[in-house]
Amino acid sequence: MTTRPPMIEFQDVHKYYGDYHALRGITATIRAGEFFSLLGPSGCGKTTLLRTIAGFEGISSGAVMIDGKHMAHVPANKRPTNMVFQSYAIFPHLSVAENVGFGLRRDPRSAAEKTRAVDEALEMVGLKGYGNRAAHALSGGQRQRVALARALILKPKVLLLDEPLSALDKKMREQMQVELIKLQRQVGITFVLVTHDQDEALVMSDRIAVMFEGEIAQLDDPETLYRRPNSRRVADFIGVMNFLPAKVTGESNGHISIEAGGLGQVDIEAAQAPGKISGGEAWVGFRPETLTILYEGQTAMDRETPGTVEEVVYYGDMTYYDVRLDGVDRPVRISMRNVFGRPVLDIGTRTRVAWSPGALVLFR
Amino acid sequence: MKFPALRAYALFYLLFLYAPILLLPIFAFNDGTIIAFPLKDFTTKWFEQMFTTPALAQAVKNSLIIAVSSSILATTLGIFAARASTRFAFPGKAGIVGLIMLPLVLPEIIVAVSLLVVLLGLGIKLTTFTVILGHVLICTPYAIAILNTAFSSLDRSLEEAAYDLGETKWSTFRLITLPLVMPGIISSVLISFTISLDEFIIAFFLAGSEPTLPTYIFSQLRFPKQIPMIMALGTVLVLMSVILLTIAEYFRRRGIAKTGGTDTGGFL
Repeated sequence: MTTRPPMIEFQDVHKYYGDYHALRGITATIRAGEFFSLLGPSGCGKTTLLRTIAGFEGISSGAVMIDGKHMAHVPANKRPTNMVFQSYAIFPHLSVAENVGFGLRRDPRSAAEKTRAVDEALEMVGLKGYGNRAAHALSGGQRQRVALARALILKPKVLLLDEPLSALDKKMREQMQVELIKLQRQVGITFVLVTHDQDEALVMSDRIAVMFEGEIAQLDDPETLYRRPNSRRVADFIGVMNFLPAKVTGESNGHISIEAGGLGQVDIEAAQAPGKISGGEAWVGFRPETLTILYEGQTAMDRETPGTVEEVVYYGDMTYYDVRLDGVDRPVRISMRNVFGRPVLDIGTRTRVAWSPGALVLFR
Repeated sequence: MKFPALRAYALFYLLFLYAPILLLPIFAFNDGTIIAFPLKDFTTKWFEQMFTTPALAQAVKNSLIIAVSSSILATTLGIFAARASTRFAFPGKAGIVGLIMLPLVLPEIIVAVSLLVVLLGLGIKLTTFTVILGHVLICTPYAIAILNTAFSSLDRSLEEAAYDLGETKWSTFRLITLPLVMPGIISSVLISFTISLDEFIIAFFLAGSEPTLPTYIFSQLRFPKQIPMIMALGTVLVLMSVILLTIAEYFRRRGIAKTGGTDTGGFL
């Protein structure tokens, strides 16, 4: 991955709408052939950033480069990018084939070659034989595919996807996620996806930029982002994270000693504190799946703390327990995979919980 | 229907609204110069007389020239205004749009008198051209109201998508915007045409010595002998208006269905 050349470079990009500071100094590199996601809550500037790549939004200062070229004076219709819109923007008065072939109007190839290109594009997205259908008669998933074929037929260097799956139902969305990943591998084009759905970003992306209030809070691969978020805010946005107040009691060559909110004294590695720690007051975080409820006869590999079950949320394959650990002033959420023959615990049950200092993340 | 009073009210309302119009065709086919019951024999001679009166033909010609020109001009201006007001934010937008829409509610006689004063002051001769100017003024707000619906029900990303796929701003307008708002444009032309065709006050003040159909009708009402022919003419006009408005509404609805929007009103 690191050997891939840069495809899109943002250099200190700022964008103002009047007094509103929508993008606050974005500096980042998206590599060629990468599946890159811009993830954040609504209003964080992710769509604005995507539209600066497409050329639909100008920038107030800084630079956007695509494939080594400055884009400042290149309008959207001359950029090597194509976009799949949130609403799909299928032209309602044209047929499926006319939609897909729309971008080929200025192509010097013969009509027969263009027809073949359209057929190939439709086949690629699984809509072979749909060319003569009226565009407005398609289902949501089919529109999505037409929008993809229409954008990919021009063989852009970058495909931009603005929340492309948000209008689909859950089943369809999961199916399209897998298809998009396969398609991206097949065509090898750089994909930039905007989404507010953290699961979608984790499933699909090579790397993810998490954005809050016009800034990139963290840019990492999904696993790093999930395991080592660099702030409580990122940790809270990506999945579920338990937080306990902590005190830093000592630091020495690559190790940090902390007093972790009633769990006692633990030593962690410096890498477990991805944000800057200035000493003193801090927070420890741990994911629900890094805690395990111990059943009779089981022993912890590392640490073990007794506690009482306060809440049980049953999900079929999983159960979430809120457990108040002895000495800790708030309940922590624990997720357990349900195993056949092992009953779900009742509220009020006394239990033992296994945990590991290696799974903790330290935040300011 | 639990409230008989409301039902009666609705019936009377409709009767009051349409009974006079229903009288038009009745007397248009009545073989007598006096507009009163009992009816006499059935005749079509009033319709024949219509086609053999040169002054009437001239008035119809004037009116058609005015209605066609002002509906096309008003719709053209409306396209620019509607596109600007639905697509762009600019300082003073609400005020500007408000001023354009104002003639909808201004007393027409005030508009007519002011226009007359200005035109006379400028030394412009009163002809069908001056009536066209006046009619463009009052038709444009209607055109904008209709075209605003057409433009705002158009998903903006459709234009962006075409531009993104390599088209220019102009070819995007031609290939995407225009075909999708075309039903709105047709509807706007037809409604402006209808308004201009039966507009009286402005035409009366600004037409000079070239009467339009409504001013001609008004001038003929002084001659009792002419009244049955006016009834025949009225019948034709009512029929034409209904047909035109129906076509306009058909195109307006088709436009909304085509762009996948939801119906947010309209004139019918």
